[in-house]
Amino acid sequence: MSGLYIHVPFCASICSYCHFARTAEHGRAERERFARGVVRELELRRAACPTLRAGRRRLATAYLGGGTPSQLEPDLAEVMIGGTVGTLPVADDLEFTAEANPESLSDELARTWRGLGVNRVSLGVQSLDARVLKLLGRSCDPATARAGLDRAVRHFKRVSADFILGPGLERPRLLAELQETVGRGAEHVSLYLLELHPGTALEARVAAGEVRLLPDHRSESLYLSCVEELERLGLRQYEVSNFARPGAESRHNAAYWRRRPWLALGPAAHGAWGRRRYANAGTLAAWLRRLDEGRLPEASVDPLDTTARRLERVVLALRTRQGVPLVWLPPGALDLPAGRREGLWIVADGHLRLLPVGFLRIDTIEERLACGLA
Amino acid sequence: MAAPQDRTRNFCIIAHIDHGKSTLADRLLEYTGTLTGKAMQEQVLDSMDLERERGITIKSHPIRMDHKAPDGSAYVLNLIDTPGHVDFHYEVSRSLAACEGALLVVDAVQGVQAQTINNMYLAIEHDLTIIPVINKIDLPAARTDYVAEQFIDLIGCDPDEILMVSAKTGEGIDALLAAVVARVPHPKGDPEAPLKALIFDSVFDAYVGAVAYVRIFDGTLRKGEPIRMFGNDRRYSADELGWFRLARVAQKQLIAGEVGYIATGAKDVRYVRVGDTVTSGERPCPEPLPGYTLAKPMVFSGMYPIDNDQYDDLLDALQKLQMNDASLTWEKETSAALGFGFRCGFLGLLHMEIVQERLEREYGLSLIATLPNVEYEVLLKGGQVILCENPALLPDAREIAEIREPIVRAAVITPKDYVGPVIQISLERRGVQTRMEYLDTERVNIEFDLPLNELVVDYYDKLKSVTKGYASLDYEYRLHRADDLVRLDIMINGDPVDALTCIVHKDNSYSWGLKLCQKLKELIPRQMFAVAIQAAVGTRVLARTTVKPYRKNVTAKCYGGDISRKRKLLEKQKEGKKRMKQVGAVEIPQEAFLAVLKVER
Repeated sequence: MSGLYIHVPFCASICSYCHFARTAEHGRAERERFARGVVRELELRRAACPTLRAGRRRLATAYLGGGTPSQLEPDLAEVMIGGTVGTLPVADDLEFTAEANPESLSDELARTWRGLGVNRVSLGVQSLDARVLKLLGRSCDPATARAGLDRAVRHFKRVSADFILGPGLERPRLLAELQETVGRGAEHVSLYLLELHPGTALEARVAAGEVRLLPDHRSESLYLSCVEELERLGLRQYEVSNFARPGAESRHNAAYWRRRPWLALGPAAHGAWGRRRYANAGTLAAWLRRLDEGRLPEASVDPLDTTARRLERVVLALRTRQGVPLVWLPPGALDLPAGRREGLWIVADGHLRLLPVGFLRIDTIEERLACGLA
Repeated sequence: MAAPQDRTRNFCIIAHIDHGKSTLADRLLEYTGTLTGKAMQEQVLDSMDLERERGITIKSHPIRMDHKAPDGSAYVLNLIDTPGHVDFHYEVSRSLAACEGALLVVDAVQGVQAQTINNMYLAIEHDLTIIPVINKIDLPAARTDYVAEQFIDLIGCDPDEILMVSAKTGEGIDALLAAVVARVPHPKGDPEAPLKALIFDSVFDAYVGAVAYVRIFDGTLRKGEPIRMFGNDRRYSADELGWFRLARVAQKQLIAGEVGYIATGAKDVRYVRVGDTVTSGERPCPEPLPGYTLAKPMVFSGMYPIDNDQYDDLLDALQKLQMNDASLTWEKETSAALGFGFRCGFLGLLHMEIVQERLEREYGLSLIATLPNVEYEVLLKGGQVILCENPALLPDAREIAEIREPIVRAAVITPKDYVGPVIQISLERRGVQTRMEYLDTERVNIEFDLPLNELVVDYYDKLKSVTKGYASLDYEYRLHRADDLVRLDIMINGDPVDALTCIVHKDNSYSWGLKLCQKLKELIPRQMFAVAIQAAVGTRVLARTTVKPYRKNVTAKCYGGDISRKRKLLEKQKEGKKRMKQVGAVEIPQEAFLAVLKVER
């Protein structure tokens, strides 16, 4: 069993906080070359990999991410998905997620996606507050966001909503938004503490003093309130930033944290296949050029040695509700009783499990573990 | 051929750092034709890179010059170079003991310095004929009259005995050579008596083993003859012997009055100690030459490799350095905070710095050195006295009757404008002023009895800073004296950190502990948990600070491509963390261990 990730790099506009591989400069011609390129990439990968050719591994999960996959019109979505997921052996209970923006998920697109097997939508709501949406540079108002959420729930049984924990938030309002979102039918919420990345518009505005970020203690306390509220609503925290009704967790994302293999297609897509990680060329042009030359569009390959694998499995497991088996931990790297006292983690069933306060300091904890691992 | 003793002159140069000793030596080589101008490399005699860089001489390199006097008679002039720093007091004294005369060289601009005076007294003690020389007379700022006055005051010489030279231009060099011939007495040894030779230096040579630099006082030594070291009774044979030119030149024999070398074949310079007497294995002299003592280390410091993998390399490097430096001592030491390392003993601070620098530069090691320390005498209640040069190993206070610390006589010569600040910093460091005299209208000589421990921490740096670099310092061990000393421990989250333990005066323990805690708080980064830093004497906590724990530090998204990015970041951080030492569950950066040095009084 394995996963498939396709990166769709197109957006209608660029959000102020986003540092992903994406472009708002695109026309029908680029999108068409992209869709066919994805199919071509899978062909090249098939030719290069006997496992893939033999078709013995069934696809357990597929994920259209971006960028904004809902920017791809229905006929091109059909070309791309038909030529990829449509040609691979899939599991009966395939989880097929597509990311969408509330404003670009039309009924027509939703129907097309369903016809192609998409059964889960991850909707970039981010906020239901007009001021916050503007700050984040979203081209969406609260009414459109609500309508998009309702439309997604109408078409798909499984809907997830993304929220950003950033500037301009007030606790009661945010908790009410989460409550409303769950009430409208989302079974899953991803709640991301805002990260400021260099080169983004938001960073420039913060540097210029136009926007004030929340001080650490405020965002920490907001995060902890949200965790509590979501649990109260029946959405359990199963990773640093992810919450779901039991059984409604994203299987695709969970596979990342378990270090399962997945194939990635599209510009800037990252895959893990055959005990190595690869990153595709980051721009559409560079990615297409390699495909035209009949080469795999990989810009870099990360061969994982034992140390790297050991480090990965620890830091990834640490992010999850299951936690890290104690036997994986370097001896003496963590003061387990002290962490328990401070409410950072619990130790149960031979696992170290971070609590929400621990998740807030996870990078520090990882650093400690990394230093202990040879 | 060996020159007759009446045509031989053995002399040295006494000068303060930068007063032009090396340049003057080079000029003598040139004027005697030992070296031609073209072949001259600046400062030929200082061969170590480090010496050349610092402009100071650490090891003495003797040289034999053939000099034709204006009247046509040929002389042999042996110039014995002396180390130019206070740490090498004993080595200087042995070099002086090998000579009959000394050039006392003083910079025409700077005048007499503390160290010059000390070495001059040393030369007088050894009954050397002193030739006063004012150097750098070519400089526009030269104050020859003023310096001449100083000389007259100091040694009571006649004005016309003082030589004016410029080693740079060569002015006055001929007159200087003439003065050496005319004034320095010639050696008066007995070539037929049993062999009696003074070792004034020794070096290790990978091919021939330990090489002794000697002055033959009595007797004659022929190549291949058996020899004996008086001090340790070790026996060797003179496998090779000879004179010093720029390199060693083998001869068949060395006779009374001569300066030369003996390749002994000993495996280590520690068997061929400076100050010892070499005599014949068959017909020994009844008495050794006077003045032999082992140079004792005065300053101690723990040296630890930053990367534990370099432990063996450090051991190897120390062994190699010691082959050539008998005054360097070390023993293995384990620190709970720093791991495995060595406690090294040095003659003084400069010696310590030089060794550290050589280890890092020549052997490519990354080291952390703990706060320099001195050797305490600890009188236990049972009446037993133990020596302790590592504060962390000091016995429990309840067992101690008294702690005695080494006190030095520190002599500072400073322009009179800085007398106030000099006295102030000395008193702050528990100095007791014992003497003050005006050397002339401008300069003052002040002497203090000062605990060596206070001196090694930062006294010299402070002295230079409050006198804008004009003061000079010399010091000499006087005695061990009891004082109200306590051991100050630093505890991190309740665990004592041995590498930060120090011995301080009780009156200073509170303010010192507080400042140290504050400094450590600045240097220790935030961690997962709160870090408590405490300073304590015994069980009494004097000061406490806390490093607050990290707040938010979280990567919110970790999907596909984030995983490699995250891992690479962690691998990079892990490299950075190698410079951190873990004490209990707390990570302490290397520089924190030197915090003690950075605490302002």
